[in-house]
Amino acid sequence: MSYLDLIHLRKAFDETVAVKDFNLQVEKGEFVSLLGPSGCGKTTTLRMIAGFEIPDNGSIVLSGEEITSIPSNQRGMGMVFQSYALFPNMTAWSNIAFGLRVHRVSTAEIKRRVNELLDLVGLSDDGHKFASELSGGQQQRVALARALAIEPRVLLLDEPLSALDAVVRVALRNEIRRIQSALGITTIYVTHDQEEALSISDRVVVMRQAEIEQEGTPEEIYIQPQTPFVATFVGTINQFEGILKDSERGLVSCCGGELELSITPDAAAGLSKGEALTVFVRPEEVLVGDAGSQDNSFQAVLRSVTLLGPVTRLNLELQGQTVYADIRTIDRHRYVLDKSVQMSFRRDSCRCMREGEALNENSAHH
Amino acid sequence: MKKRTFGPGIFIGGFLLYMLIPIVATYMFSVATRWDRTILPEGLTFEWYKTAFADRWFLIVFKHSLVISLSTVIASMVIIVPTAYWVHLRVPEARPILDFISTLPFAIPGVVLALGLIRLYARPPWMLARTPAMLVAAYVIFTMPFMYRPVVNSLKAVNIKVLTEAAQSLGSSWIRTLGQVILPNIMPGIISGGLLVFATIFGEFTIATFLVGARFKTFPMQLVYYTRRDGRIASAYSVISFSIAWVSSLVILWIATSWAKRSSSGGSVVGKDISSR
Amino acid sequence: MKSVPSHHTKRKGRWLDWIPILPFLLLCFAIMILPLFFMLWGSFTSADGQFTLQHYAEMQASIYAKSFKNSILLSGVTAIIGVAFGSVVGYFICQLKSKRAQELVTALCDVTSNFSGAPLAFAFIVVLGSNGVLTLALQKYLGWGIYPEFSIYSFSGLILSYSYFQLPLMVLLIIPAIAGLRREWKEAAFGLGASNFQYWRHVGIPILSPAITAGLLLLFANAFGAYATAYTLTEFRYPLVTLQIGFLMKGEVFRDPGAGDAMGILALLLMSISILLYQFVSKRGIKWQR
Repeated sequence: MSYLDLIHLRKAFDETVAVKDFNLQVEKGEFVSLLGPSGCGKTTTLRMIAGFEIPDNGSIVLSGEEITSIPSNQRGMGMVFQSYALFPNMTAWSNIAFGLRVHRVSTAEIKRRVNELLDLVGLSDDGHKFASELSGGQQQRVALARALAIEPRVLLLDEPLSALDAVVRVALRNEIRRIQSALGITTIYVTHDQEEALSISDRVVVMRQAEIEQEGTPEEIYIQPQTPFVATFVGTINQFEGILKDSERGLVSCCGGELELSITPDAAAGLSKGEALTVFVRPEEVLVGDAGSQDNSFQAVLRSVTLLGPVTRLNLELQGQTVYADIRTIDRHRYVLDKSVQMSFRRDSCRCMREGEALNENSAHH
Repeated sequence: MKKRTFGPGIFIGGFLLYMLIPIVATYMFSVATRWDRTILPEGLTFEWYKTAFADRWFLIVFKHSLVISLSTVIASMVIIVPTAYWVHLRVPEARPILDFISTLPFAIPGVVLALGLIRLYARPPWMLARTPAMLVAAYVIFTMPFMYRPVVNSLKAVNIKVLTEAAQSLGSSWIRTLGQVILPNIMPGIISGGLLVFATIFGEFTIATFLVGARFKTFPMQLVYYTRRDGRIASAYSVISFSIAWVSSLVILWIATSWAKRSSSGGSVVGKDISSR
Repeated sequence: MKSVPSHHTKRKGRWLDWIPILPFLLLCFAIMILPLFFMLWGSFTSADGQFTLQHYAEMQASIYAKSFKNSILLSGVTAIIGVAFGSVVGYFICQLKSKRAQELVTALCDVTSNFSGAPLAFAFIVVLGSNGVLTLALQKYLGWGIYPEFSIYSFSGLILSYSYFQLPLMVLLIIPAIAGLRREWKEAAFGLGASNFQYWRHVGIPILSPAITAGLLLLFANAFGAYATAYTLTEFRYPLVTLQIGFLMKGEVFRDPGAGDAMGILALLLMSISILLYQFVSKRGIKWQR
């Protein structure tokens, strides 16, 4: 039995169903992210765990104890809000001390703990400041320290970094992960930023329209998406619609017969000739230039180039369809606009799906 | 987190009763034949209104109050609006001074203002303390915060500076900018202020009594007169006075809400973004 | 800080820019500043033009001292009543589910906070006078004969009628402050294990305290300066500062200008301090709203 069990959780507001049937088992010390677009139900789920919303159906079991109907101030969970929610009438120090005072910890112990936590989040000299005197990043750290002060059984974070600058966001998310690892606290983290979720989580739960689309490690989510939504939501991906031409050799006819793709026999095995399917390929798996793969090799026209930092994205046109290929920025001068370019990708770079479900399960050949 | 459902109801209900009973009682009293022996009026009649209107004084005091109120509104607008606009646009350093001055009238009770004015201006050779003109001047100062606040809020909300600059960059002259860009946008503030001033002055008793007293009777003064002579006529006067006040309040509220809807799209959003840098 | 685009050069323009403000400033000076200074001078001047503190000494005389005592008591009591009940009512209004209902009650407060003076006093006479509606109803249905122990023409009558316009004023003042209490603060407090009571004691009420203090100060000043309501109910029978000043002014000939001046100045002092403190506390409260 796992540490935190979420069983058949359901929540509706008036006519809208926010969470349909949420099931998840979280191990102790695990860092799980709930990832999805606005309105997918991730925040509602988090609030149900915290006790701010009561589920219409289902139960929440923590460490063997059913806590579904226990009020929020008795669950022992620390919550960090998107808007920090620091008490404006108290200094950073008092904010952090608040939970300890409520639990009637001795003054000496409070002093020790608060200073310890201020050190932990790197704000040892700022305890006397009020929220209005702190930057966004600093306020969020105080909020984190405040939640950790009560030694919560589960740490809940609701899009804690959305209100911060990009640079601060990256630094802070790594810090959150570092602290969480060191303390070993079970953590549920809600975000709509997939880079954030992938980089710091043990497991990611992708949600969409009140349901779970897929749940797995970051690697599984990124490299083996199970549904078209997960494939397109997490990172960028090329999408080819086609019909299976030859099941034995794994040939797919796309773009009205103009293009023929090769997929793995395993993927083709589950299909019959003439069936429709979608082939997904990540831009980084599209190789450009002569030294490419033999499986799927085509001539495409380079339409535009977008510099993304260390990676440059080539926008290629193949049989009227747009194909993205990622190259290293340092190689970008090799390619000329409106000129023909050789592009290719391996068979097992293809992720195939039929009617919204993945076909090849064993693409661990990377 | 159990919610006790009767608590709020009792408080709000009690509050509503406390607020509404005196008002309703006054209205009913003004149409009651007799109402000093029973819980409900003994009969209904418009006799008191007829008597009130028939008295020649009614028209006189009503006219007086109307004239004074309107004069105050106009004088207020003419003096305060351009000043607020000018300060806002050209002399921002004067803004705190004006803000401070606009709160002074709150610290001066009506009697004290009347006292001061009489002491200073009622002695020869002035002899102008007891004129309606002096009353209007006193009223303009007395209600200054009521006109100043809404106008200044309008100016800030609409971001006058940005609008003026935008108009100028499009080649607009000062007059056109003022008439077609500025005034239409702060009109809600001006009207709210005007209505508030009007309603306040129409019902103002204290300063009027002492400044112009018997020479220039106003509506509230007549009302007080009747409270001692004939309560039923007084109630008719009360109803009229109060109705004017709450109709003004409602119009102000309506303006405030419809203006809020209008300005939530368009210019003011842009203005706010720029000014927050 | 970008300066306003101006057609004049910076140096010369400065002086000229202040000219359009002059009419307003002159009016303020003539109507507010000058008379008050004159009063101040008059309060320190005896009938034959000598400097004197006698007028202020007179303030200790029973009638004047009593007036101040009564005014302060009345203003203080109605301020406390207004703040206490107004805050609670304001809180419950914010809890109302329907936006419409909230708007309606707020509109009602807007309207009734201006219903003061003679019409209000008269309304209370209709309701709680010796033959008032409520008086008769209480007698008939509950057997309570409130007269002659109670009278609307007494101190308790003043408290009741003053509270009538104090309450809605406080409601209007407290509602923005309560709306400013973000839901997340309560949730954060609960998440940290606080009970409802602990939340209010450590977070809720401290955050509301500027609004409450501001309310106390404003309501105090509001009541202290009121005249018409008290005059209509009690004429000059019940000593209040504003009524006393009015009494001294009645008629063409001044009864005791020096005393009037002294009273006026003292009243002004009290009111100014209240209003200044009110401004100060209000600005501090805004700081927390970010």
